[in-house]
Amino acid sequence: MAYKVRLNMFEGPFDLLVYLIEKAEMNIYDIEIAVITGQYLAHIRRMEENDVVVGSEFMVLAATLIDIKSRMLLPRVTEGEGPAEDPRTDLTQKLVEYVRFKKAAAALEELRETARFKLEKPQEDLLPFTGEPDVFLKMDMEQFVLAFKMFIHRRKKQDELQRMRAHIERERVSLETKIGAIAKLLKAAKDRIVRFSELLAEKADRYDRVVTFIALLDMARSGELLVEQDGPFAEIQVRNH
Amino acid sequence: MENKQRVKSAFESLMFVFGEPVDVKTAAAACGVDRKEALELFRELVREYDEQQRGIRVREADGRFQFVTYEENYDYIRTVVTPAKERRLSQAALEALAIVAYRQPVTKGDIDAIRGIKSDRVIEGLVAKELICERGRSSAIGRPTLYGTTAKFLTYFDLKDLGELPQLDDEELEEAIRSFGEAQEADAEDDPPALEGQTTLELS
Repeated sequence: MAYKVRLNMFEGPFDLLVYLIEKAEMNIYDIEIAVITGQYLAHIRRMEENDVVVGSEFMVLAATLIDIKSRMLLPRVTEGEGPAEDPRTDLTQKLVEYVRFKKAAAALEELRETARFKLEKPQEDLLPFTGEPDVFLKMDMEQFVLAFKMFIHRRKKQDELQRMRAHIERERVSLETKIGAIAKLLKAAKDRIVRFSELLAEKADRYDRVVTFIALLDMARSGELLVEQDGPFAEIQVRNH
Repeated sequence: MENKQRVKSAFESLMFVFGEPVDVKTAAAACGVDRKEALELFRELVREYDEQQRGIRVREADGRFQFVTYEENYDYIRTVVTPAKERRLSQAALEALAIVAYRQPVTKGDIDAIRGIKSDRVIEGLVAKELICERGRSSAIGRPTLYGTTAKFLTYFDLKDLGELPQLDDEELEEAIRSFGEAQEADAEDDPPALEGQTTLELS
């Protein structure tokens, strides 16, 4: 079972910023950047103090606000005609766009408030209407008995097969068990050296070989043993570290 | 088929048996009338059920028609059976859904840009709820998936078609936005925003 924890927090940086602007009763087209930046940063700090993981998006907006704030302090350079561009323009546009959809979301929620009381019936089983007639079998008693015997026979065969399959399927060794087995073997071995072929069971199949090899690699990686090989395809010597 | 009344009654039977919304095209073909006429007759049915204040109404969505209960009877229904409690869409889901509805087709990137935050999980959820679906790919770099609303979206919000979406009234929006500023003059001093009330834990 897993706990789902839902924090009734802001949906995103814009949500927080719009909330702050609304709370401060500021005109969104004329945001007092210095004030709002301060509040925004303070809020993020408090989120951090409350051990809320502050998403990178929140930090990006913080950086944007600081950037705008600093540009507001600089004299604006006019390029050609017309008034200089307000550093806030881009942000304002984004916020207005966001508020627009926040309102639309509220409108949808309201629509659902009535729509959810209109109940529909789920589609029922339409089979009776699609015209598959019931199938009747024409057979006499003998045929019927024969059919039943055939069924029993087949069932027996199946059971037999099932048993054989259970017999053939061997329990697979896990990597962890193999590592344990190798460690034990090494400890018991003379000079603490073992050849790779000795690690394998007598009738080792491909799976056993692979598991053994991976176990070796894993143990070599963690420094439990040393692995040596004289040349390509030569016997691998395993040594206790 | 002989006359309108007869066709309408056939449509009613069709809707009753089929359960799912009945496509105008299918119904028209079944009753041997043309599509335009079928649509008109279906809409006549909608009006008749409304006028007679029936407990069953006909709902149109995406050119398909279906019987639904009259919404104001919900309380009576609830005393007899308990309709499955529905989990409301989260604020994030509603925002993303609104963006898809009004701007479709949109990419995930478009949604992220407007919301200012990643919307992957939210979009996944909306797709799983069959309120939105993939609508091909954009020709932009990376050929991102485009999303649009589904027929289920329409029935979910009880809309005939997308034209019935509430208007995003610019004037109204502007007024709402400006009103933040006007209130400022009336009441210049205000408490700093409270954080405490915003963090509530809800275990479900």
